Amino acid sequence: MADLSQAKGMELTGPGPSLASRLGPYALPIFLVLMIVVAGIISPAFLSSNNISNMLLQVAPLGIVVIGQAFVIILRGLDLSVSSVMATAAVIATSFSGQNADVLPILAVAVGMGAATGLVNGLLVTKRSVSPFLATLATMIVLQGFRFAYTQGAPSGNVPPLFRALGSASWNGIPYNLMLLAVLAAVFWVLLSRSRFGREVYITGGNPTTARLLGINADRVTIIGYIISGGLAAVAGLVLSGYVGIVDNWVGRGFELDSIVAAVMGGISLAGGRGGIIGGLFGAAVLIVVFNAVLLFGLPVQFQIIIKGIVIVAAAAFYVRRTN
Amino acid sequence: MSAIASSGMTRSIRKNQGIIVVLVLLAVLLVFGAFVSERFRTANNLLNILEQSTGLALVSLGQTLTILTGGIDLSVGSMISLLSTLTSGMINGDGSMVAPVVVGVLALGLVFGLINGILIIWLKVHPLIVTLGTGAVMQGLVLLYSLGPAGKVPKGFTYLAYGKLLGIPVGAIFVVVVFALVGWFLTYFRLGRYIYAVGDDDTGARLMGLPRAKVLLTVYAFSGFCCAMTAIYLVARFGVGQPYTGLNYTLASITPVVVGGTLLTGGKGGVLGTLLGVYLISLLNNVLNFMDVSTHYQLIAQGLIVIAAVSIYVEKRKRV
Repeated sequence: MADLSQAKGMELTGPGPSLASRLGPYALPIFLVLMIVVAGIISPAFLSSNNISNMLLQVAPLGIVVIGQAFVIILRGLDLSVSSVMATAAVIATSFSGQNADVLPILAVAVGMGAATGLVNGLLVTKRSVSPFLATLATMIVLQGFRFAYTQGAPSGNVPPLFRALGSASWNGIPYNLMLLAVLAAVFWVLLSRSRFGREVYITGGNPTTARLLGINADRVTIIGYIISGGLAAVAGLVLSGYVGIVDNWVGRGFELDSIVAAVMGGISLAGGRGGIIGGLFGAAVLIVVFNAVLLFGLPVQFQIIIKGIVIVAAAAFYVRRTN
Repeated sequence: MSAIASSGMTRSIRKNQGIIVVLVLLAVLLVFGAFVSERFRTANNLLNILEQSTGLALVSLGQTLTILTGGIDLSVGSMISLLSTLTSGMINGDGSMVAPVVVGVLALGLVFGLINGILIIWLKVHPLIVTLGTGAVMQGLVLLYSLGPAGKVPKGFTYLAYGKLLGIPVGAIFVVVVFALVGWFLTYFRLGRYIYAVGDDDTGARLMGLPRAKVLLTVYAFSGFCCAMTAIYLVARFGVGQPYTGLNYTLASITPVVVGGTLLTGGKGGVLGTLLGVYLISLLNNVLNFMDVSTHYQLIAQGLIVIAAVSIYVEKRKRV
């Protein structure tokens, strides 16, 4: 991406690291702490245990989606179908008897549906060279159509109590869904940062040609990335259905953009090959804090959308500067 | 003019086999529709399809140019919502306000588009992210302005949507004229050729000293202008603007472009394909309506068409 004028500029000014590149890895945690402190000073209610447990409950669904999104974005893609997968998983959760006995079948069907969506995404992207944006957009729309046709526009039925507990209850102040996020984050962090497959993900995303020369099956790695994203989105949909308690056709609406915003804020580059799960999770936390602060400061809820828009552009610009 | 337009058309047909695919599909749908329902065959229904496709056609026209440069404009939906709500909100039933508000809204569309272009050039961030962000900001702004339908327009305003010239809807005529002008511009003007050059090989265009910034500013400003035209048309059609009018247009505007054979990677395609793509989508929805297929399945059909289209026109590998 570097063009001639930039190369010349570098020669003139010398290769001294910019503020952005020196702050790089710590920028987001620092930003998060600063925001919490400032929000706490402006509005003491922000640090009330009630509000904190509320925010902690909201981190998990977004965080779980971000983990999957991280794989796909590091592979130079993105996954817009996650919100549709979430809503469909939520509809599946209410399609059984609503008893705890059905938890395993629900989990199997929902995750299977998410993984199948990911498989279609991956096949379109790799075998048909469809751009990830369009491939995942199309599966999002098709899945939405099936969901609406199945529910006739109005889903009904109950979420099993176990999901209700998973989505909204806590143990000694720690929400169960946050524990689930921690477990998933740990497992997928090992997979991405400490395994052979993870290295293949970074190499494929960083430079597909290199990956091929190294004998990596780039198509297979990419398809698995989309399957992970679809499967995790289904899990997030189940968790979210337990949080909201009732299910409509739009559970998870907006999560496709929020998860991409969180990932980009967390330093996962849309150009591929760069970033990690922990950064993405910090991004998710910052987003939840910002949303919460907007409401707590008494600003109209519309400012959430405006701030989200500004934040994603600013974060992307920040990381472009850093990598240049 | 007609000679120029027709030679431009044959040229773009030769260059773009996608157009033949779409034409065949259009013909198949027309024949199929004629079998499905007697009412489909009426001239009235066909004119109806033309009239209803005006909004989608205008926003897709701007989208075509941004995609030709290898970019995309995801702010169109919010921009249409914002501009249509402002249009009816500021006119508010006052006939004397129509002209100034329409001019103002068109100018505002240009300015919003320019802001997109400036941010893309200045920040060096992918247009997908920039327009996603500005779209969110605009959606927030329109909801701050009004949470529901705002204002109203005088009776005569609806002429823009429902008026007819020699029995043909004015919107449909306007669409054909504007598409022809833009097609002419793309083929015969230097700046129009540069749009293809930038989309085909951004780095090469830069090295050759092509005015990349000017190209990007032009296409995003034009996309904003198209959103303003769509917004005004929709207000004329529904009699009022509301903050979610444009919601579906962001994604809907991309479908006809892709179906018409313009590659998301940029540099290949054109407006004729997009216009035929718009007619194809409108015709498909119309036929499905006559078959009493619920809108849920129409959604599935549209998604499958996108998948089929992009699978036919295999694209270069691209980072998005």
